[in-house]
Amino acid sequence: MAFLEISNIVKNFGGLVANNNVSFQIEQGEIIGLIGPNGAGKTTLFNCIVGYYKPDSGKVIFKEKDITGLRPFDTNRAGIGRTFQVMTVTTGMSVIENVMVGAFCRTDDRHTAQSEASEVLNFLGLESVKEYHLNELPIAMQRKVGLARTLATKPELLMLDEVASGLNRTETDELVLLLRRLNAEKGVTLILIEHIMEMVMSVSHRVIVLDYGEKIAEGLPGEIVKNEDVIKAYLGEKYAKSH
Amino acid sequence: MEKLKDALDFRDFSRAEQVGFTIFSIFLLLFPWLGAGSFVKAVMIQFLLFSLFGMGWNTVGGYGGQVELGKAQYVGIGAYTVALTMVWWKIPFWVSMPMGILLAVGYSFMIGYPLFRLKGHYFAIATIATSLVLQDIFANWKLVGAAKGIELPIHDHPDFLYMQFKSDTYYYYFIMVLFYVAIFYMNWFRRSKLGYQLRMIKDDEDAAESLGIDTRWCKIKAYSIASAFVAVGGGFMAVYNLYIDPVSVMDLDLSIKIALMAMLGGAGSLWGPTIGAAFLVPLDRFLGSWLGGHGGLIGLDFMIYAMLIMVVSAYQPRGIWGIIEQFRRKGS
Repeated sequence: MAFLEISNIVKNFGGLVANNNVSFQIEQGEIIGLIGPNGAGKTTLFNCIVGYYKPDSGKVIFKEKDITGLRPFDTNRAGIGRTFQVMTVTTGMSVIENVMVGAFCRTDDRHTAQSEASEVLNFLGLESVKEYHLNELPIAMQRKVGLARTLATKPELLMLDEVASGLNRTETDELVLLLRRLNAEKGVTLILIEHIMEMVMSVSHRVIVLDYGEKIAEGLPGEIVKNEDVIKAYLGEKYAKSH
Repeated sequence: MEKLKDALDFRDFSRAEQVGFTIFSIFLLLFPWLGAGSFVKAVMIQFLLFSLFGMGWNTVGGYGGQVELGKAQYVGIGAYTVALTMVWWKIPFWVSMPMGILLAVGYSFMIGYPLFRLKGHYFAIATIATSLVLQDIFANWKLVGAAKGIELPIHDHPDFLYMQFKSDTYYYYFIMVLFYVAIFYMNWFRRSKLGYQLRMIKDDEDAAESLGIDTRWCKIKAYSIASAFVAVGGGFMAVYNLYIDPVSVMDLDLSIKIALMAMLGGAGSLWGPTIGAAFLVPLDRFLGSWLGGHGGLIGLDFMIYAMLIMVVSAYQPRGIWGIIEQFRRKGS
């Protein structure tokens, strides 16, 4: 049995089909890149898995348990963490408090939550900014805090929605190292939605490609870059023919 | 034990706050001996009572960010429980007040469950509506005195069991004790799991859900804690005023004042409701007695409150305390 099994997910918004019969399986410990042009339905698929949307049909099975249509807090408690593409910049809480909220997912004790939050902040190299508020930090840092608070809920499956967007080269490289460490040291399975091809191709074990809501390809990074459907989807029909 | 330690631990506050709170506490303790007249004493009691109300509101409204405008119904439940059980069965205050809390909490779960399907403005309007409905029911219900209200039997001798005293000083100290229980509770609450989760809900509800927080259930819990707080205050109002009617304990006016005190002082901070009450209660009393002499100006007090609400929400949603904090963060 697969770690995460998505079968025939369909999600419509009015007349628009955002996800059409998407199916795939993921094994524990994998790093999966989920790519596709803008509007391909990647974030919608995330939301269907995590529970912000209820899919019109199809099933999500996580660790042999049917989690289709569960609310986000339930899927989180089941072990799925997710970060957001757009981080709401809030002024009400400091960085460590943000991360403590995540830690409170698995404990009721404030002191435990605090020490776990510090641990996560150390892991991500954020301990120096822990007393700052989010609006006082640069965007790259804010995203990292978003990642930190999700990590504090101790997910087994981590779904990252464009964590690298807006980061410069060095920051992206650091992030890649971090994700690899997360995968290797903590055994976290990762699914990333990403636009930066170089990054996805270098970090992912396998890549899944969506276009117009449908899965058009799935395979090793090396295969995906040569796949004609994928090239067509990204660069247009003409480009694919001329090459 | 751990919780009690947290409740009494004010170390994470700044020096200035600790000193201020200590001076304020000494003042509260000595106040009855400072030779104030009965009017000022009554204002002080009102101030402590509204601080208590405001701290209750602060759980769901301040930390949780849910604009709740129906707290009066729980004041009413607390007050009516104490008054009616005393009139009907001579049940002592110390028994009827916990009964009032239980009823208020039970009722708040019933109301809160459907209410928290709503968000934002819709939620605020719905809280007003439920409170108005309850007030109307009580104003027409013969058994509970209808619009005429209920008078509590006055005892010849001071009676601790029924909380009847000749001097206001006793009432003053009683409400002061309640005030400190509330402060210590809130001091624990702000660092509790629920406290953190509520602040996350206020900041970003979607993110809160993604962090394993059952947002609706959290709000309901906070709502019922707030209801318990104000029910205690309601019970106090019954024995202190010895007379209650739907207007004095269930009016919309009261709900708005409760929310406004906390918002003006600083929603989501420990001191906020007390600061707000320190401003608004004297203002309210002053306006009340001044407008009493100027018949044509009745309603002006509401206009002033409305202005205050607008100014606070437009310029500094975190109230007076928010302004102070802002200066401090810039300074450091």
